Amino acid sequence: MSRRRLSDFIDALADGRRPGKFEADPEDVEVLRTAITLRAARPGDAVPDEQFVSDLYETLAATENSEIVPITRPTRMRRGRVALAAVAASAVLVGGTAAVTEALTSAAVPAAVQAPHGSAVRTGTFETADGRVMGQIVVYRGNPSWVFMNVDGSSYTGPIMCQLQVANGTTVAVGNFQLQGGTGQFSRTIQVDIGHLRGAKLVDASGAIVASATFA
Amino acid sequence: MFPAPRTSPTRADPPPLPGDGDVTYLRVVDADAYPDWEAVYRDNVGRLYRLIYARVGNRPDAEDLTSEVFRTALGPLRMASSKGEVRSYLLLTAQTVLASHWRRSLGLAVTSIDPESDADYLAEPSGPEPPSDAPHRAGKILAALPDRYRRILELRFLEACSIKEAAHSMEVSVSNAKVLQHRALRMAAKVELELELGP
Repeated sequence: MSRRRLSDFIDALADGRRPGKFEADPEDVEVLRTAITLRAARPGDAVPDEQFVSDLYETLAATENSEIVPITRPTRMRRGRVALAAVAASAVLVGGTAAVTEALTSAAVPAAVQAPHGSAVRTGTFETADGRVMGQIVVYRGNPSWVFMNVDGSSYTGPIMCQLQVANGTTVAVGNFQLQGGTGQFSRTIQVDIGHLRGAKLVDASGAIVASATFA
Repeated sequence: MFPAPRTSPTRADPPPLPGDGDVTYLRVVDADAYPDWEAVYRDNVGRLYRLIYARVGNRPDAEDLTSEVFRTALGPLRMASSKGEVRSYLLLTAQTVLASHWRRSLGLAVTSIDPESDADYLAEPSGPEPPSDAPHRAGKILAALPDRYRRILELRFLEACSIKEAAHSMEVSVSNAKVLQHRALRMAAKVELELELGP
């Protein structure tokens, strides 16, 4: 069965179709990788289709513009408001990008949060109570630090909350996002020392723990 | 893993306009920073697609994963990051997205993205010629194969022939062409492994 599916996967690759899913054997990895290497060498196919580039642009423009400030416009403010905004910004322990950006923008300082840099990365795997893998979570130490998670492996559709567990026993809610057919992604800046994090939980709308992860 | 933070060029506040109260100014944009998300997208979509295509070998998955990377990365991205930092973040996101793709589709990682060794994919200027080394690697693998093994793989993977067309070209049955392709790929995989492990 596995060999048949391996053959189907390779034929799909060669024919330019989307390959199907199957449980591959570790011994198949080298063959699959070589098939990809050969297919990737076909002239012309490594250039993205113009329609794809255009469609993705339109999608991003429609869905992301509310979260992305195309041109940041810091407002010149009086000193008292600057100080107040700075206090507000520093008071955020774990905050969303939008909240941090708003505070910093109002403070007339470079309205920017750096992309993550630094070497410390911690990862964990979300697992259900019965041991099924439901996704991955990664936290990066930076200025600020970031959390990124990818969830799949269930049929659940609806809101989900991510909670980070700190080593001192406290739990911090990072944010909510939507799962569609069990799949969803979430990323956010966090202002917490990732070295103090112990794990993470995914909690559904009823408050039940869907999956949990322990950071390596 | 990531480039060290760079010192931003001096930012100069624009002079106040006559009669201003709370006046809104445009931000001074660093030469080494993207002015807006559209610039991030335009500058990197082709490069990122090429990298992902080289890792999955098919257009539908490459398009889906490229979309997923931008949807995931652009939301939290802020524009005062240097271009290098933005690209590092895109690569890191792509690394995670690709790993998740393989876990979902095959249950194990067939290929991966290394933000350090694959940085050239995003650092090279965009252009009609992809910076991929796939043609060179494929050429070395095929050159090491017996003639019939090389020919079936050339027909199927480089010349876009169907299995029927390849069988016809090689004057064998379709079932024989499938067996030939399978054996040729097995040998090619060994060759590729030897090339990676070689001096």
